[in-house]
Amino acid sequence: MSIELKLSRSNRIFRPNESLEGKIIAKFPSSISHQGIRITATGNVNLQVRGGSAGVIESLVGVLKPVRIMKESIEVRSSGKLSSGTTEIPFTVMLREGQNGFDRFYETFHGANISIQYLVTADIMRGYLHKSLSATVEFIVESKKTNLLKKPVSPEMVSFFITQDTQRHPLLPELFSGGFRVAGKIITQCALLDPLNGEITIEASAVPIHSIDIHLLCVESILIGEKIVSETSLIQTTQIADGDICHSMTLPIYVILPRLLTCPTVSAGLFSIEFQVSIVISFQSELAKLHPKSDPTIPRLWLAMETLPLRLFRTN
Amino acid sequence: MVLVLALGDLHIPHRAADLPPKFKSMLVPGKIQHIICTGNLCIKEVHDYLKSLCPDMHITRGEYDEDARYPETKTLTIGQFKLGLCHGHQVVPWGDLDSLAMLQRQLDVDILVTGHTHQFKAYKHEGGVVINPGSATGAYSSITYDVNPSFVLMDIDALRVVVYVYELIDGEVKVDKIDFKKTSTSHSAH
Amino acid sequence: MEFRVRDYEEEEAIYSLWPRISTIGDHPLITRNLSSSIKVDVADSGKNDFYDPLRMPTAHIQDNTADDLPCDEDPYLSAKEWASFKRSLMQKFSGSKLVTISSISDAILRRGKVYEISSAATHAEELDNPRKASEDGVKVITCQEYVSRLREFQDEIKHAWKADDRVTSLKSSIKVARLLLDTSVSEFYPTLFILVTDVMDILGDMVWDRIKRKAEYVDDGTLICSLQENFGTSDVCSDAKETCYNWFCKIGSIRELLPRIYLELSILRCWRFLHEHPWKILHRVVMMIRGLADPLASYYCRLYMVYCAQKLLSPDTGYLVACITDMTIILRRIISEEETMSKRLVEHNVSLISLLEPPLEWIIKSICMEAYKKRQYEDIFVKLQLGRGLSNSSGTSECISIIIHHFLKELPAELVCSHASFILQLIESANDISLNQYLNYRLLGLKLSEQKSRVDNVDSVLGTVFQVITQYSRLDEYVKVVDAFLDIVLQYNMDNYLTIILDGISIRTRSKEITGNELSSLQSIIVKLLAHFNLVEDVLALNHFLEIIHVMHGSSRDVVNMHILDKGTRNGYICDPTTVQMLFDISQTLHDCPDTFSVKADHNEQQAHLISRFVQLVDYGAAMERHLTFLVECRGAFGRISELKEVLVRSSNKLAMKAIKDANNPVDFVKSCIAFNEVTIPSISATAKRMNLYLETVEVSLFSGLVCHADGLVYSAIDCLQSVDQSEGLLLQNDSNGVLSWIQKLCSLLVIIPGNPEQGVAYCPGTILALVESHSWITPQLRLRVFCTILSLLATLSQNKLPYHAYDAEVVGNDRLFYGDPSYHQELASLSSSVLTKVIDGVLQEPNRVIRGNLALEACNYVLSAYKATSEISTICSKLMEIAKSCLNANDKYMRNTVKYLDKHMSNTLGDATKPVVST
Repeated sequence: MSIELKLSRSNRIFRPNESLEGKIIAKFPSSISHQGIRITATGNVNLQVRGGSAGVIESLVGVLKPVRIMKESIEVRSSGKLSSGTTEIPFTVMLREGQNGFDRFYETFHGANISIQYLVTADIMRGYLHKSLSATVEFIVESKKTNLLKKPVSPEMVSFFITQDTQRHPLLPELFSGGFRVAGKIITQCALLDPLNGEITIEASAVPIHSIDIHLLCVESILIGEKIVSETSLIQTTQIADGDICHSMTLPIYVILPRLLTCPTVSAGLFSIEFQVSIVISFQSELAKLHPKSDPTIPRLWLAMETLPLRLFRTN
Repeated sequence: MVLVLALGDLHIPHRAADLPPKFKSMLVPGKIQHIICTGNLCIKEVHDYLKSLCPDMHITRGEYDEDARYPETKTLTIGQFKLGLCHGHQVVPWGDLDSLAMLQRQLDVDILVTGHTHQFKAYKHEGGVVINPGSATGAYSSITYDVNPSFVLMDIDALRVVVYVYELIDGEVKVDKIDFKKTSTSHSAH
Repeated sequence: MEFRVRDYEEEEAIYSLWPRISTIGDHPLITRNLSSSIKVDVADSGKNDFYDPLRMPTAHIQDNTADDLPCDEDPYLSAKEWASFKRSLMQKFSGSKLVTISSISDAILRRGKVYEISSAATHAEELDNPRKASEDGVKVITCQEYVSRLREFQDEIKHAWKADDRVTSLKSSIKVARLLLDTSVSEFYPTLFILVTDVMDILGDMVWDRIKRKAEYVDDGTLICSLQENFGTSDVCSDAKETCYNWFCKIGSIRELLPRIYLELSILRCWRFLHEHPWKILHRVVMMIRGLADPLASYYCRLYMVYCAQKLLSPDTGYLVACITDMTIILRRIISEEETMSKRLVEHNVSLISLLEPPLEWIIKSICMEAYKKRQYEDIFVKLQLGRGLSNSSGTSECISIIIHHFLKELPAELVCSHASFILQLIESANDISLNQYLNYRLLGLKLSEQKSRVDNVDSVLGTVFQVITQYSRLDEYVKVVDAFLDIVLQYNMDNYLTIILDGISIRTRSKEITGNELSSLQSIIVKLLAHFNLVEDVLALNHFLEIIHVMHGSSRDVVNMHILDKGTRNGYICDPTTVQMLFDISQTLHDCPDTFSVKADHNEQQAHLISRFVQLVDYGAAMERHLTFLVECRGAFGRISELKEVLVRSSNKLAMKAIKDANNPVDFVKSCIAFNEVTIPSISATAKRMNLYLETVEVSLFSGLVCHADGLVYSAIDCLQSVDQSEGLLLQNDSNGVLSWIQKLCSLLVIIPGNPEQGVAYCPGTILALVESHSWITPQLRLRVFCTILSLLATLSQNKLPYHAYDAEVVGNDRLFYGDPSYHQELASLSSSVLTKVIDGVLQEPNRVIRGNLALEACNYVLSAYKATSEISTICSKLMEIAKSCLNANDKYMRNTVKYLDKHMSNTLGDATKPVVST
């Protein structure tokens, strides 16, 4: 005895104001009677503040009440009987924006503290004697096509320099005295389906380079009362140089943005999801070997870094 | 027109260094359809040289030939003619017409080509033709060292054969020709 | 029974088609008068009234010159070439047996047991690299083990894929790619590269096939469209594109650079589903590889990139040029501080460069292939900044030796020839540890020699090259370069350089042990010289030539000597005594070389052949005594060559013949020659050869009237046959025709040898008869044929005038010697009658029917030919014909010919009354 939900799109991506289509597939060994079959589509923003890393607001640890984005419920079958064997029941639910809560849909996102999730559930009500049968499946919401931003004509490149003087944390003495200079540029507005582009050149360095990594960071902020609690998490690291590469050779920065872990930058009053890109140069050092597992985004003596905000958006 | 080069008794290098240059310059690949060689070449290089003139080559064995695979006698049919080939040192006495006629009867051929005496000969005898192309290098033979280099070219066309005789006399190539027809009575068609 | 009377002269006159009668001797007048056909002098073609076939206008010769240009091949290096490249790479670096596993590649360790090492060898290594030793657990596995574990990985990847567990496939592939991070395995790295990229290729194929299938079929297997070879992105459905993009996302999330690049490369061609011009991404990949600092890792990564990029069919070679440029920069870093490097570091770097060479080689090959296709060499030169020297000849361009080497290797010879000076400048400027500079000079020489077209500035190019190489003190380097340029020196007849070369070699070989490499270069040089000059004398006369040959040793010396001999025997007779002496010495060196006659049979046969040929071709002209002395010397010097003995006998005969023709009173000299043969022939092992040489010597002695010698030699010849024992007889039996034909020849020869009155004229035929009857290995068939031969001989000897006589008038023929002597004829007749009986008996004894029939016919022919057609003979013939008829098919040609002849013969001589009973 089982029921299953199957959506019309294999990638399960739907856009606001489209209809969510699919079918319920019910398999029974013998026929059963029911008191109605119902389809419910919901969209929620789940917010939570984890202790530990945030540390500051211990009193606020815990899950906040989810915020509803949408809820649509329709009866696809009134009470009756389902015959034995496989029965397929198609359904259609309109994804209408602005029905309750927020005025628009936010894209599906699964972060450390913020999760924006859309679910569709099928229920077969069978009265008090029997437990009702249900199945749930997640569908993914991407921004409405009509709302999409136009791609900037020329992606804006931001130039940066990383030297011993741009670092706000202590450096190894030999690194500080010998000095280094790394130049580069990177885009700070990036379409989700485009790679994050840029380039970087080691112009000089007294200490041999160990590695250069590009960290993609996510900053999730939640408004609690009057306070904004923010947490930054590392979502992807991409090494672009391994070892003491030749100086003056330009290296490309090329990062494909991970799906699900990224979404368009959101600022919704109650919460915001923002991104950053961090360029981290690690220099060869015996000290580094002693801390093989340390968080790469935390400033260390043998690291030099530059962090830039990154606005993500969806385009055609 | 089928051209058949008949030659033999070169005795290279034991009795002569090479074919006369004037002969060599006349013998170019592509002109000749068959080579029949009575033997005593004597070495493989000469074999290879002749083969380069014409790949269709028939050889019988002379007593000094290195290559023991050459047969003692050989017959082949070209057009309407059946040809027999034998070196000739086996004929007793050498060059004897009656003995050659015996061989001709045995091989059942219209034209018998033999060598060994190093003298050009052509006979019509007992209804057949016997040709000795002489020595192509002018090597000394068992009985004479007074030898002009010579060879023979047969132009076989239907029932007619024209035999061209090339002989090097005092440094000049002389060419003669002999003409004969196969009479329908002499040998029945094969 | 009476012998048939023959008149050979008359027969000749009747039957000859060509009435030149030369048996009488040459008579110019008779020749001219009797010649009925037209005589034409070939030299004077104007008078021809017939064309002989050899002078017929030549039919047009077909022009078969093949098109020199290679046809439009695939411009990319094919999969086949890649496979062979991989094979050669594995072979080249197959030295290491054990692989040290560092922590990076411990993925391999989790797959099985590992040898913890404590052997002395690894202990030494620990001392070598104290830091590594300090890390606990240095582990070593054998190459084989490593390979088999990679196989397991490979199976796992395939297996997971089949089970739709593509994530596991990808994860395992990443683990495999990570193995290439460990460059400490150095010598093993190329092998590792091949193993790993094989796995990458498997993954790449699977992904490609999957996406392609998605683009062509829907889930339930119905065809949407089939993609053409050159499909565009518009042909690909969005579902397939999405899957493809997902793959790049998954791979893009790999943190480490090297495995990320390898994985992307493995599915590189999948960009074709997403991009209209997929090759445009190559530029980015080239740049990404720059992030790999380790030279070994980055070189091999580029190699894989170039291999994968070929599948994108890029119309642009920019990425290849960029690759080479980056590789040059890395290489320059390795070689730059040669002066400051420790010796050990230099060694390390040199061995590193040898590992870097294959990727460099492949990529340069790819570049040149492209350039060839587009005829864009100059363009590539400029892009690579190799052309800097062109515009600014004084500027020192910073080319690297090994890079120039591989470019030079791939450039077409014609281009090298037309830019010789420029390339020379490049070579001059590049002198570093990556490749010894002399190898580039050498390659330039070889390239210039390849081409038939003119070399640009040949004088100045050679001038510069020689300026450099005369500074070389090492023989090895000197001869290698000289060898490469020799062809040009010879081609342009630059004798001054030839002198310099030979001087140079001479100086450098003095008081020095010459090594194998040097020997082979010297060998090549000498062979080239020999090929260039027409006459061996010219080569031998070159300054220092003999000196150089003398310092050579071993097989190279033999090869050189053989070439000299070959050259010396190419142009006919060798007349110059000095040359003869030199070639004799060379032959002797060859002959006396200790291993010559034991090791290589083929080689020895060739040597023996060359020496024999040399001896054959020596010609002292009028100094015939000297020539004979030479033959005697050869007999002493080359005792081990059996082939030569025959040559000596035949040369001596030839010499005697020459003396007979030329000299007035040559008898003593001819005697010496014959005496020489009498000594030499018995040492020849092959009986058949011995017999033939005896007969030839008989012929020669008769030319000089030396009847006694002739007699003795005939007996020796018969003795040869006599002494043939059972076992050798069986061997000869295979060649029984040879024995028969030899006896036949002997019998014909006996016609001109005067009979010995004391022993009787029938002595020789009698001996032969006795011989064939006593030897059991002689078959009945052979025996019968010998009888017939004897019959012919006896019939001939009975004639009043023999068909031919000895050339020397002093040798009196039997016809004159026994003219009218009844006992002579009596002897012939009595022997013949006993032979005749044996003939008939012999036919009857033959067990095989067909053979019997044929033998009967043969016997009949011989009898008819020998005897007058009396009734007695007629009876014998009838009897023989009856036998033949009973044995053979009635249509047998031989029989029909014989019957016809028999009829004619009998009716001619006997008239109708005694007409034979036999009829057709």
